[in-house]
Amino acid sequence: MTKELENKLREEVRNLLEKGKVDRVIGYGAGSLRFAATPLIISDKADVDRLIINPFIHNNLSVFLPDVSGKVAIVAKECDARSIISLVQNKQIPRENVYIIGVPCSGIIDLGKVEKLTGLDRDEIDDISWQGDKVTIASAGGAKEFTAQEVLADSCLGCDAGGFREFDLVIGEMKPVAADKELIRKRIKDMEAMSPAERWEFWKNEFSRCIRCYACRQICPVCFCDRCFVEETEPQWISPLPRWQDNLIFQAVRMMHVAGRCTDCGECERACPVNIPLGILTGKMEDIVEELFEYRAGMDKDAPPLMAAYQPEEAEDLIR
Amino acid sequence: MDSFEPKIVAFCCNWCSYAGADLAGTSRMQYPPNIRIIRVMCSGRVNPSFVLKALSVGADGVLVLGCHPGDCHYLTGNYRARRRMAIAKKFLEYMGVEPERIQVGWCSASEGSRFAELVGEVTDNLRQLSPNRMFND
Repeated sequence: MTKELENKLREEVRNLLEKGKVDRVIGYGAGSLRFAATPLIISDKADVDRLIINPFIHNNLSVFLPDVSGKVAIVAKECDARSIISLVQNKQIPRENVYIIGVPCSGIIDLGKVEKLTGLDRDEIDDISWQGDKVTIASAGGAKEFTAQEVLADSCLGCDAGGFREFDLVIGEMKPVAADKELIRKRIKDMEAMSPAERWEFWKNEFSRCIRCYACRQICPVCFCDRCFVEETEPQWISPLPRWQDNLIFQAVRMMHVAGRCTDCGECERACPVNIPLGILTGKMEDIVEELFEYRAGMDKDAPPLMAAYQPEEAEDLIR
Repeated sequence: MDSFEPKIVAFCCNWCSYAGADLAGTSRMQYPPNIRIIRVMCSGRVNPSFVLKALSVGADGVLVLGCHPGDCHYLTGNYRARRRMAIAKKFLEYMGVEPERIQVGWCSASEGSRFAELVGEVTDNLRQLSPNRMFND
């Protein structure tokens, strides 16, 4: 199944490069670790066979788009494609320079979860494949079956893909992810049920682990400022030292800056080396934006950015 | 708990609320002295980082004041401020900042009495809370 998709993708990409429709292609290549996929940017058709599709293509490749010149084709899952449109809405890239190749996605398999469930190292696993709604993991000790909910990445469990119409080309057939939205909504609901003091304590605790590597910012497609407020020195908004206070302010302000651009793709949480559950924040931010302004980032390329538009009457109940 | 005297940082827009504060002053209106005014050219200038900066250096509350909708000197600055501050208020509440600590309001240049009232209300609201120790170690 994935082999078929892979061949189809390679064929299409070869075609695009040969006809000169695009100058570069952003896709996934094989990573150095077993099963891992890594971003791959190619411009030569000799490299086309390095492109892969498998259930581990987690990166949101749209983060590279503003830096890659010329006409660019990009391999995108539906969640990533929303980030691309968010970039178009915010005038970071012209729509006509991007050729979006949609790939069907059954959700990304979290290798960490697989390793935990099977007790095996990734090198000891022979094959991981989808069989309908189940995931089969084959190793020397025989094959084991797991449900999608057990092995899918957290951000995929909350998948609300569907209804996106901006693909220029779709490889194969799109189908819904066997997500478990309740499971992932529960994190936000639990947080809402706490008192303000408890919530503050929770985040204080989480952000005391932050080492301020800024991986969340670097991997975020919609964190595109040339100069980030954290690096400003006159005035200095926060200290560069990783104190929890400054870590928390950094993340809170970052979230508020990307409000209306963030598509809750889950990359910041995945990139976090100390596992701060940033998805609880991005998920809530998306909810707030939708509730207050009926706005969903990256769905309509012609809609103005959230912060560049207004309605005469809105949110007045929050104002004195 | 004994009530305390909150420190409030107010961001007032140059054209309406700052002039409103001026009018309250020149008309000798009484309002609580808990407020520290920072003049900004427009409420749309107020970045959410201003709010957090104020809270992190010890303000008990932040008040953002702009022109009434439709009255903005720059036509749409306060509409943008409204989107930004509505999100900031909701989001920071979710992170654990009491909603009373972030207040947004409209006050025109001719509303000196409204300015005094607003400051009074916000101060009273904050007196009900405890001092801001959120950013203490």
